[in-house]
Amino acid sequence: MIRFENVGKTYPNGTPALKDINLDIKKGEFVFLVGASGSGKTTFLRLLLREELPDSGRILEAGRDIGELPKWRVPYLRRNIGCVFQDFRLLPNKSVYENVAFALEVIGRPRSTVESQVPQILELVGLSDKSKNLPSELSGGEQQRVAVARAFVNRPLILLADEPTGNLDPANSESIMALLERINRTGTTVVMATHDKALVDRMRRRVVVLDKGEIIRDQVRGVYGVNEGAAR
Amino acid sequence: MRVYFRYAFRETISNLWRNRMMTLAAILTVAVSLSLVGSALLLKQSAAQASVAWQTGTRVTVWMNAAASQGELDAVRTQLADSPLVHKCVFFDQARDYKEFLASLPPSETNVLTVADMPTSFRCEPTIPADAFVVESTFKNQPGVYAVTAPEQQIRQMNHAIRILQVVFLALAGVLLLSATVLILNTIRMAIFARRREVSVMKLVGATNWFIRIPFITEGFIQGLLGSFVAAGVVTALHTWYPLHNEFALNNVALLGTNAVVIGVGVLIGSVGSAIAIRRFLDV
Repeated sequence: MIRFENVGKTYPNGTPALKDINLDIKKGEFVFLVGASGSGKTTFLRLLLREELPDSGRILEAGRDIGELPKWRVPYLRRNIGCVFQDFRLLPNKSVYENVAFALEVIGRPRSTVESQVPQILELVGLSDKSKNLPSELSGGEQQRVAVARAFVNRPLILLADEPTGNLDPANSESIMALLERINRTGTTVVMATHDKALVDRMRRRVVVLDKGEIIRDQVRGVYGVNEGAAR
Repeated sequence: MRVYFRYAFRETISNLWRNRMMTLAAILTVAVSLSLVGSALLLKQSAAQASVAWQTGTRVTVWMNAAASQGELDAVRTQLADSPLVHKCVFFDQARDYKEFLASLPPSETNVLTVADMPTSFRCEPTIPADAFVVESTFKNQPGVYAVTAPEQQIRQMNHAIRILQVVFLALAGVLLLSATVLILNTIRMAIFARRREVSVMKLVGATNWFIRIPFITEGFIQGLLGSFVAAGVVTALHTWYPLHNEFALNNVALLGTNAVVIGVGVLIGSVGSAIAIRRFLDV
């Protein structure tokens, strides 16, 4: 589903963000991307969204080299990738329902699709009874669940999560993780960048460890590791 | 597609309403500047029309002294007849000039005139209307000539005045159009800024670039359009309530043409303003 071939990325100021990355993520996999701040996790996710282009190598998504997509095709690529962030990025003046519906409306889905899909996805994240509330009236965990609903309502092939539990307490982190697992079980490939050691160790999923732009460990049923990122 | 039109319409209206003070300022500036453009255009058209009307009938009149001798008259007559600049001349004797004066002046002034007071005159038609001025300068110092009048001179002065007026109008209008464009650009920039969260979410979930841009472009377009409608109203009102007379009077076709130009320019500056704002401030 996702394949990095000798991917390198250096920012204009000369700092290398990623060096010669080779990685293969299969359809339906759940991958943790761990590493210290500045290890290249965010660059990795930005490359997947084609917010950046690699300086060298190529990235394949669903068998297609995304570097060769013309610019106008990029939005269509992004329709296949859902995104969740640490800071939720909900629209404060729209209700829960409207926030989720917005994601379908702006890609031109007909109203009938919106009306059938949104309640269904809100049911999935367990927020059916709060659909009329504004984000400010929800807890952090609930807001993040709205964000997950928005990312998943279009049934993308890939779900990217950039430290989705970074702002949440352990109980709420737990519910978000459960949600991501459930989404993963529908066949969606999930890539999650995180700092949360306890979470990674308990889940026993594939772990890719980045350090200074290089993959230093890739385990199928991995753990976070003993201060690995910090030690080197 | 229907979904999209509904969305774009809703977004545009809510953007305009959110920034209503700026929107109003932009629309009014467009309206004022385009009213000036429209008036300048009307003025230009009627000036052009009037000078054509004047020139087709251009006459140079060589007025002889009432006491001019027959020799002087004959000398002027042969010279006029020989001049290549003069197409043809008609001699008006005292009686004929007197009749003309009676017809063109009020009785209170004509009752003191007698036929003997009248000068004789040659009513000449220049070969080329613009040469009237040359004919005038050639004959005004001939013996026995009292004065030479050529309307060409007045036409020139009038045209000169109208041209200056036009330049002033258009310069003012140009400055105002520029500021109208900048105002529209600024309202669009504010709208983009106010909606930056929506825009970033739209990019994230894969809305196409045009889907994101079009509501902003429509917004500038509508501001330009509304402004030019007001200006077209002003131009029409000027035409209707303060019509120009005689040779200056314009028909409705000229008015329609002027209004079409006004609306075209309004739409253009609205679109240009928002296009610049989008290029510079909406990174999609």
